Amino acid sequence: MILTTKDLRYTYQNGKIIHFPDIELDVGKKVLIVGYSGSGKTTLLNLIAGALKLQKGEITLAGKKYAALSSSQLDKIRADNIGYIFQTLNLIPFLSVMENIELGVRFSKNRRSNVSDLTQEIVRLLTSLGLSKKVLDTSVNQLSIGQQQRVAVARALLGQPALVLADEPTSALDRESANNFLNELSSTFDTSKQALLMVSHDLSLAPYFDQVIDITNKNV
Amino acid sequence: MFKLLIKSVRSRLLPVSLVIITLMASMVLLLSIERIQKATETGFNQSISGVDAIIGPRSSSLELVLYTVFHLGRPTNNITMKTIDDIRQRKDIEYLVPIALGDSHRGFRVIATEQDYFKYIKYSSDKSLSFSAGQAFNDISGTVIGADVAKKLNYQVGTKIHISHGSSQTVAKKHDDFSFEVTGVLEKTGTPIDQAVFVDLKGYELIHLGWQSGTKIFNLKQLDFSTLSQEELTPKTVTAAFVGLKSKLTLFRFAADVKKYPNEAISAVIPGIALSELWSMVGIVDQGFELLSWIIIIISLIAMVSLIISSIDNRKREMTIYRANGATPMYLSTLVILEAVFIGLTAIIGAIIFVTLVTYLATEQLNLILGITPEFDWISWDEAKIFAIILIAGILSSLVPAIIVFKKNLHHTLS
Repeated sequence: MILTTKDLRYTYQNGKIIHFPDIELDVGKKVLIVGYSGSGKTTLLNLIAGALKLQKGEITLAGKKYAALSSSQLDKIRADNIGYIFQTLNLIPFLSVMENIELGVRFSKNRRSNVSDLTQEIVRLLTSLGLSKKVLDTSVNQLSIGQQQRVAVARALLGQPALVLADEPTSALDRESANNFLNELSSTFDTSKQALLMVSHDLSLAPYFDQVIDITNKNV
Repeated sequence: MFKLLIKSVRSRLLPVSLVIITLMASMVLLLSIERIQKATETGFNQSISGVDAIIGPRSSSLELVLYTVFHLGRPTNNITMKTIDDIRQRKDIEYLVPIALGDSHRGFRVIATEQDYFKYIKYSSDKSLSFSAGQAFNDISGTVIGADVAKKLNYQVGTKIHISHGSSQTVAKKHDDFSFEVTGVLEKTGTPIDQAVFVDLKGYELIHLGWQSGTKIFNLKQLDFSTLSQEELTPKTVTAAFVGLKSKLTLFRFAADVKKYPNEAISAVIPGIALSELWSMVGIVDQGFELLSWIIIIISLIAMVSLIISSIDNRKREMTIYRANGATPMYLSTLVILEAVFIGLTAIIGAIIFVTLVTYLATEQLNLILGITPEFDWISWDEAKIFAIILIAGILSSLVPAIIVFKKNLHHTLS
């Protein structure tokens, strides 16, 4: 099991408490968590990413329990095991496509060791996501929104992190683009080594996933 | 990390450049003042060596040194040759070289003196004067020129020149009825000597025979020089005299004796003491400039910290992406400190280049105005210390934004 969460609760500063459904995520699995805006989807991802301090409950990633880890150990866990696709594109505008993608392995020796030839691997990822290798040295500002989204995915997948977290990556895309994007993500995603946890308010994306969890009802 | 830093800085080129320029400008100001002040002081101190005292009419000691050694200003009074001869009799004197000033040649100061000038007057810690061509004059029509005079006027041994009555600042009238012939060209000394024309005191007296109160009464060509007696050619007054003593221990006694000389109001000035007075006066202004420069440096460092702190907010997305991809808070804090080091080092390198340029231009000006040619080090030890202080201050001040970055939680920016 790559990821398990148990009895997760989070209390916001305004006193609002969210009780998250338990998750068990194994290699090769793709899970969609759905919920309306403000239901705590991003909070859940941030808790799993170690970006938010765990208040109550238990998260275990790659066999490590978060409660027992220091913040620097959490940083290492995140760098080694998590690829994060943000809701907003979050590419660095002054870096090229190649340099933005390279960030995925820059801070993790483990992820870097999974890549023998960095350029070749980045080209492979870009090609499978429908982008030409000609864009490698292009500034990300010169790409369309859809192309930028693909670059962000390539960065999250580079070095084959065990868990890919995706925070509403299709929210800015139209239906057709969203479908294309998910098809490309599914084909690039390595089912033998990785698991995908994506949050979205759009239940129509469900066919692309093995499991759908409603965050509000804790229904599976 | 350095690659990311450079790219990040390049994306904020204008504000970063402005901070670098401000910091650099303040360093240039500080170092230029330091360098020019030190170089001028060294240049002045090296301009005269081996002269224990300067005898002149009783007036400001600094004024006497300035016009006899540095050719700045004009003598207001003379001393009689009889007084000079009286003092020359003293047993504690090793040498006494009288000089007469007042005339010029194409803007260069004419110094009427004796042959002993070239033997006893030294420069730059006991270096003797030497000739790049020819030799010292040995008759009244001979002249020795400084290296800059020869170079700028393209003169050589054998060139005949006319001297003008009065200094270059006044409307000069030429002594065109008597020409001097260059007998020697001095090696470059980097002192006002390079910009001087030396003639024999007797020759100087000769060209003034036909003059009264600055007006030419008769033409020397009407004179038969062979009929002139040595006494007629001996000057009645001179401007000052350089004195070397057999023992430095007798210097203050000598100065006191000269002051008490009964027949004329004269004084013996010790060049080193007079120059110290000058530096203590100039030093107050220098200290003011130095204080101002340090204030500007502090302001520049504050501007740098402000830039980094404000950029942290603008770089929220950049920092978040690094963090989300596994960068530790320590990595980001180091990035911020490195940015301060980068700004500081760039400003320092820029300052060194500019200061070198400024000092090069200052050398030209100092040579033009004061006749001294100071030599500048590429970077002196004192300057290296100033750079180190600024760099360390920059790093210390960058700790504030670095701590802010360190404490910023990832979830505050992750969306």
